Parts: sequence; C-alpha cells; structure tokens
Amino acid sequence: MLIYLARRIVFGAVVLLGTSLITFLIAFVIPADPAVAMAGAKADPQTLATIRHELGLDQPLYVQYGRYLDRALHGDLGRSYIRRQSVTALIVSRFPATAILAVSAMALSLILGVLMGTVAAAWHDRPIDHTLLVFSLGLVSMPVFWLGTMLLIAGGLYLRDFPLGGFEGPRSLVLPTITLALGSAGYYSRILHTNLVEALGQDYVRTARGKGLSPARTMFKHAMANALLPLVTLAGLDLAGLLSGVVLTETVFDWPGIGRLAFEAIFNLDIPLIMGTVLFAAFLIVVANLAVDLLYLWLDPRIRLEQAP
Amino acid sequence: MRAALKILAALVFAAASACNGGGAPEFAPGTSVLRLAEVNDVPTLDPAAGYDTVSWLFEQMLFSTLVRYGDADVKLHPDAALSWTVSPDATVFTFHLRRDIRFTSGRAVTSADFRYAIERVLNPKTNSKGMEYFRSIQGAPEFIAGRAAHLSGIVTPDPWTIIFHLRAPDPIFVDKLAMPFAAAVPHEAVERWGEDFSRHPVGSGPFMLKEWIGGQRIVMVKNPHYFIRDLPKLDAVVDLLGVSAELEWLKFEAGEIDVSAIPTAEFVYVMKTPSLKRLTTHQVTVATQYLGMNSQMAPFTDLRVRQAFNYAIDKHKLIALLNGRGVVAHGVMPPTLPGFDPDLKGYPYDPDRARQLLAEAGMKRLNVKLWLLADQTELMVGQSIQQDLALVGVDLTLKPIALAPLLDAVRQPNNVPFMVFGWEADFPDPSNFLDVLFSRSQWGANNDTFYYNPRVEALLKEAAPVTDLKKRYALYDQAEKIIVDDAPWVFLYNPVAYVIHQPWVHDFVLNPMRPTRLEKVWVSPHH
Repeated sequence: MLIYLARRIVFGAVVLLGTSLITFLIAFVIPADPAVAMAGAKADPQTLATIRHELGLDQPLYVQYGRYLDRALHGDLGRSYIRRQSVTALIVSRFPATAILAVSAMALSLILGVLMGTVAAAWHDRPIDHTLLVFSLGLVSMPVFWLGTMLLIAGGLYLRDFPLGGFEGPRSLVLPTITLALGSAGYYSRILHTNLVEALGQDYVRTARGKGLSPARTMFKHAMANALLPLVTLAGLDLAGLLSGVVLTETVFDWPGIGRLAFEAIFNLDIPLIMGTVLFAAFLIVVANLAVDLLYLWLDPRIRLEQAP
Repeated sequence: MRAALKILAALVFAAASACNGGGAPEFAPGTSVLRLAEVNDVPTLDPAAGYDTVSWLFEQMLFSTLVRYGDADVKLHPDAALSWTVSPDATVFTFHLRRDIRFTSGRAVTSADFRYAIERVLNPKTNSKGMEYFRSIQGAPEFIAGRAAHLSGIVTPDPWTIIFHLRAPDPIFVDKLAMPFAAAVPHEAVERWGEDFSRHPVGSGPFMLKEWIGGQRIVMVKNPHYFIRDLPKLDAVVDLLGVSAELEWLKFEAGEIDVSAIPTAEFVYVMKTPSLKRLTTHQVTVATQYLGMNSQMAPFTDLRVRQAFNYAIDKHKLIALLNGRGVVAHGVMPPTLPGFDPDLKGYPYDPDRARQLLAEAGMKRLNVKLWLLADQTELMVGQSIQQDLALVGVDLTLKPIALAPLLDAVRQPNNVPFMVFGWEADFPDPSNFLDVLFSRSQWGANNDTFYYNPRVEALLKEAAPVTDLKKRYALYDQAEKIIVDDAPWVFLYNPVAYVIHQPWVHDFVLNPMRPTRLEKVWVSPHH
C-alpha cells in the first residue's frame, strides 16, 4: 500500500515537472513578446530592450527555466508582469472564492444527479425515465453563459432576490452555483442511470430480491454501492477542474476566482501568471487523482486485492 | 436542519470572504458615493508602472502631477505647479510649486518628490513603461547606466522650485509631465513597500485608497487634506472590478451602479429613448482607427494600389455599423488634436476610381490577407471592408488573432501586409501621431506600415524643436498632407466614446484623451 502510494506521488511529481516544462516552452514559443505585453503597444525599442534585460528574457531558455523551477520549489511562482504582484499571493487570494463555488456546485450537481439518475433507473423505460432523459440532455447542452445571464436577469434584475453578480454574502453564491451545477447534474444522472440499470440486472441483485428484500433496499443497499463507483472518479476529477477555475461562470457573475485570473493572464500574455495558474491546476488534478485512487481502494475491496503484491 | 444548513453556509462563506476581503463596503447615511464598474481589474496603482486607462483613472485620483489637462479638453492647467516658464529654445523648464500640498501621510510635497518620481521611472530596475518620455533630460544616459546617482538635468534649488534641463529642445516636454509617470511619490513609502507600493499608494491627489480587493472592487475615499478647497465633491468612489459589459449594463438598469458604458446591443434602444438619451454623454477621442498597408510588401509597394484601397472603403457605412460611434477620418490627426487640419479632404468613397487605379497598376484580381484583433467589433469592421473590397475585385481574407501576437507580428518587417489598427494619443501634439507612426526610426516599433518618405522625415525633423505653435502645426500639416497622398493607411474613423449616467449624477464629463476626472462629479443627496 505504501509502495503504491509512493509510486503515485513520484508519478504526480513527474507530471508537475512535465507540466511546468511544457507551459514554460509554450509561453516562449508563442509568437508574442512578453516585453511588449508588459510595456504596452506604444513602447519604444530602447524601453523594450531594458525590460527584456531586467526580466532576464535575454538569458538562454534553460537558465530562465532553471531559475523558474528553483523559485517554484520554494513556493515563489514569480511576479505578474502586468499586476506586478506575487503570483503565489494572487492565486492564494483568489482560491477561496473558486473553492467555495466549486464545492457548492459539486454538492448540488451530485445531489441532483443522483436523485434524477436513481428515479430514472427505478422507473426504467417508463415515461418518467424518458422525461428525465430529455431533461438531463437539456441540462448538459445548455451553454453556461446563456444560463448564467438568464438567471441573472430573472433572479437579479426582475425578482431582485439575488445580487447581480459579485462575491458579497451567501445569496451571491446561489445563481453561479446553479449555473455551474446543472450541466454536471444532467451528466451524472445519465451515468448513474446507466450503471444502476446494469447493476439491477446482475445476479447478486436478483439474489437479493430472491431473498425477499424490498425494491428500495435492493436498490440502495446493493445496486447503488456499485453503480456509484464510476461517479467517484468523475466527481473527483471534475472537482479538481472546478477548483482550478471556471472561466465562463466566473466571468458572467463577476466572481473573483482563479478562472477569471487565468483568463486575464492569457489575454494580457502575463506569462508568470499563466504558468502559475496552469501549474496550480495541474497540482490540483494530480492531488485529485491521488485522492480518487485512494478512495477507490477504500471503497472497492477487489481493487485492494489486485494491488496487493 | 434547514437552519443548520443556513448557518453552515453562512460560516463557510464568511471564512472564504475573510480570506478575500469581506462583503460590500458600507457607508454612513448621507455619504456621497459614486458607484462604477470596470471590465478589467486594475493592473496597478503605482504611477511608475501603470500605462492603461484603468490604472490611470485611479492614479489621477491618488496622485498629483505638476500640470494636468482640463476636465473636458486637452489644454494644460496647473496642478501641483502654480506656474511655469519655458526657455525660448525649449530646453529649460522651470516650475514653481504650490506650498500647500501634502501627501496623505501628512508630509509636505516638495520639488524633491517630483525629481524622485522621474528618477524612479528612469531607473531600469523599476521596469517603467514611461522611460522613453524622460530620456531627453540631461544626464539621463549616465543615470540609466548607473554611472550617476541623480539626474544632473533636474535641479531643485529650493523645495518649491524644480528646473528641468533637456539635452535637446522639446516643446512638448510639459505634456510629458502631465502623464501619471511624473506624479510625485514619497520616497519613504516607495522604499518601505518596494514593489508592493502599488497596494499601499501614498499620494497627494483628491482621493485616498481605502480598500482594493483584487477582482472584486476598489474603494477610494475623499482626501480631507486635498489642496483644492471643497474638492472632491464625492465622499467616496466604489468601483467594481472585472464586471463583464453585459453585467455592467444589468447593474446600471437595476440602479446598482451610477455610470456605465453602453453595450452595442443596447445602443440603438438607448439613443431612441429620450429619457435615456438625455443621460448619455459623448466625446470624440484623440484617436484614429486605420487600415495599415505595409509599403515594403506587395501589392502595397505600388502607390496606386494604396490609393485605390482608400477610395474603395465606404467609411460612412462603417460608422453606421458602429451605431454612429465615430467620425470619418480624412487624415492621420483626429479633430480633437491641436494642429488638426480641417482643410484636409482625404479620399472620398469612389469605387470606380478604385477600380481604375487597380487596373492602371495591372492588378486584375488581388488576394490580400487582413490581420486584425480577434474581437467582435474588429471582425465587424473587417467584414465591412471585405465587402467593399470585393466590389473592386479584391478578395480579402480575414486573419483574426490575439492582441499580443498581433503586436509582435506587425513589428516584424515583411510579415504583415495589411492590418486593422488604431492609435490613441498620449499627449495632444501632432508629433505623437506623425513622428511615432511614420518616422523611419520607428520601423520595428510603432511604424507598422514601414513607411518612409525623406520629405516627411525632413519635415518631422524640422518641426520637432519648433516652439511657435502656428509654425509647428503648419510644418506637421505639410507632413500629414504628404502622408495622406502617399496613403500608407486607409484613414477610417475617429472613435466617439459614449457613456450613460444615472439622473442623480452630475458634472460627469468625458475627456478626449484621459479617463474622466472625478473630483468635480457629485451625486444628488437621497437619490
């Protein structure tokens, strides 16, 4: 178990190293001059040369990368070219807003997804199943920017029940959470529905029914335990994705999270900030992968046996 | 259970808010507050670093410069300086300062603070975008190279006098001192905070920073020690940051903000609704939008092709597409720029003449690629141009790309033949258009059409040191005429800026070249 864990951690570190290298190279391969991005379109050649020298952009690539890596290992992701602030501090300041939105959206999408998936599977091939299928597909297909704007107009402008964007009090969390959760809820409900229908046809479920267990107990005690497993992987990775920033939702709702920060960094070609946010996202995904693997080990004894030496 | 969940949600949110700075700012009843919203976050509040409209909006509120522009014009007015004199050859500039100016820290502002600010901009370690404006000061090369502790060309004989000695005549040097780069900053605060001075700015402007939460809002409050009595009229300004244009409009409709830009989709509705139209204000900016034609690349090496393109574009149609938010450009200089030549006629829309010129040049069927910024308005402009050029036998392909690669691409020689671009003045002088955009020394920088004409070059050289404005403008107008004849650009339009404000907002005016100054703006009580 420990060897497995150690192996996964080393693998995660290699992924992070690779991500940092690829991001670094992409940032320098794209046909745009960071000095121009920093100094502005009107800068004269002398100013650009001075800025390139001061930032070390005239050094060989491997020197620049080495310096970056050294600083990153010490928790210093450099300073934003445009904002002139520490990238680490910027990410840390924006993370709570993203985290609270991600966790609440994930919770809502799981609740709705499991509810819809279970109802649809319990009444498989009945009108309610077909209705929920159409409804789920509708949720998955709905563009976030459209749904967000509609919710803002309805809930914020006309009903005046919710703030028009911003990050000011629990009420401001409601509309972005709904916007972000509905698409995933539709997706989760379809996955769970398929898994549950499959599980309900398995021998062990038939045996449970034969033993005289009620349909509800068969569903929740036996079928659900197995059908939920794939959702754990999906939800874990989705949560990592959400935690690394949700650009559209954050933009529509003026939500001060990491997604908007990353978007602005890309728009301004703020290379240290682009690299910082990408590395942070990669870190979250590596951690989420590790957490999902461990959760799987705990949830499914068969995997534990397969991993045993 | 429901109550417990509510409490849990509130606690979680409070924890997150504590990390991020908390809820909406609260003011005592009767406080006069102006509420704004910005699409972009504020990059910086450090006057040595900022070089964008949003940073300058706030820097104007926080800091004082020796001189400044009027609220709605581009004429120079005293700010921290009481008066100034310029030597006849425009190499020595003497400013006498007010004695009643204090930083918000309480210390008096002296001439040494202005000197320190400019030395800081010229220090390579500051990475300031404003370096180029002060390189003409005597001793600048030695100071930049680290061979001198101070700029020998700035003399401060007493705390209330500052004298600038330049290496060469520069009649527009006073305009450069109106840029926020030259605002007084206290050395003790800069040294204390270092690169974080931007988060802890100390200035002597009409407002002080109360709160700045990245990505959320910035709150400015009145500086009670501001040196102009009874100003600012507002007690506070709250600016929400990172608000999309659509959300900004919704907030304006809901009365949550006081001033807003008008989204394209709403513009016609606003202008056709009298109650809304009367709340709008507009201003022709000191800017020109153009189609740049690289005169070193085929087919634009041929003058007839460049002129044909000028005749082929229907600028009135283009402006109609922009809901009238522009005026037709006949030349390089916008009508709001001193030195503008109203007699310049440019090129009328004449597709027949365009076809004739293309035929004379032997261009029966042309294929050209137009590089432009990947944004909705630019694409609309591009499509209109595509349609116009198709009528004269030119197949135009649009190449939309992001701003940073576009800026990089146009600076490479023989790379971008045809582009949509714009130029906005930094200071109101023809040199800021003609020298910067058409001189040979700007190849690989701002002369993106790689234009060169020795006659223009000679006129620009002759005009640069001339202090007699009439003579100066006449020389620049001559140069502009030659440039228009040479047609390295299709001169499109001068953008007109529009904003709308709530009925309770007063004296909100737009400046043609700078962000609006807010010290005279006021809001009706109990609105």
